[in-house]
Amino acid sequence: MYKCKEIIELASKEMDTSLPWITRMEMKLHFLMCKTCSRYARQLQFMNKALGVLGGGGRVHSEDCQLSDDAKQRIAKKMQQAKEAAKQ
Amino acid sequence: MTQSNNESPENWLNDYGDILYRFALARVRSEATAEDLVQETLLAGFLAFDKFSGNSTVRTWLVGILKHKIIDHYRKHSREMTLLNDDESANDVLAYQFDQQGNWQVDLVEWGTPDKSMDDEQFWLAFNDCLARLPQRMADLLLLRTVDGLETEECCAVLGFESDNQLWVTLSRTRAKLRQCLETNWFSKE
Repeated sequence: MYKCKEIIELASKEMDTSLPWITRMEMKLHFLMCKTCSRYARQLQFMNKALGVLGGGGRVHSEDCQLSDDAKQRIAKKMQQAKEAAKQ
Repeated sequence: MTQSNNESPENWLNDYGDILYRFALARVRSEATAEDLVQETLLAGFLAFDKFSGNSTVRTWLVGILKHKIIDHYRKHSREMTLLNDDESANDVLAYQFDQQGNWQVDLVEWGTPDKSMDDEQFWLAFNDCLARLPQRMADLLLLRTVDGLETEECCAVLGFESDNQLWVTLSRTRAKLRQCLETNWFSKE
C-alpha cells in the first residue's frame, strides 16, 4: 500500500511516463478512499491545462508588452546586414 | 497558398516582432534574452525562407523556429545551473504537507473548474508570478516537458539530468511547489 506522499509522486510521474497497470489500480483505489490525494491529482491536471494555454504565448504578457524601439532598430540592422551578406 | 508581398521578410519585424517577443518573454526571464531570441529567430527565418513551404502561416512558422531557439537557449544555460539548491527549497514544501508516516498534514483548498480561472486575467498574473518564483531550472524543466512536450529522454539531454528517475522526482517537486504557490496566492484569496 502506498502512502499519500508516494501517491502524489506517482500522480506526477504518470504525466511523464506510463506506469504499470497494477500501480495505476492501486492509485485508483487510493483516490477512491482519499479525498486529499484525489484533489491533488485534479490540481495537477488543472496546472497542466493552464500550462498548455500558456504555451499559446498570449496569456502572460498583454498586448502593450512590446519590443523596445532600441531593440527593433538593432534587429532591423542585423536583418539588413544578413540581407546584404546573402546578396554577395 | 501564395505569399503576398506583405509577408516578405522586411515586414516580419513589424508584423511579428512583438508577438515573438511576448512568446519569448513568457519562457525566459530577461528582456535582453527575449530580444536576442527574436533576433535569432528572424535571422534564421530569413536564411531559411526558401524552405518555407507555405503549409502554415509565416507567423506559425516563425513561432516554430522560436521554439527551437528557446530549447537551444535552455540547453546552453543548463550547464551553468546547479540542482542542489532547487532540491532543498522544494523539499521544504513537501516536508510540511506530510507527517512522518507520509500522510497529509494539511487540507487542500478546492480549486474549482479550470475554465473559471482561465477566463480571469488576474489568475494569469498570479500563475505567471508563481512560475517566476520557481527556481529557474525547475521552471525550465516544467515548461520543456509540459509546454514543448519533450519526452523524458530529451528533457534529460537538454537540461543535463543524469537519470530518468531524477527527472521525474524533480518534476514532481516542481509541480508541488507551483501548486503550493497557486493555492496560497490565488485560490485561498477567492
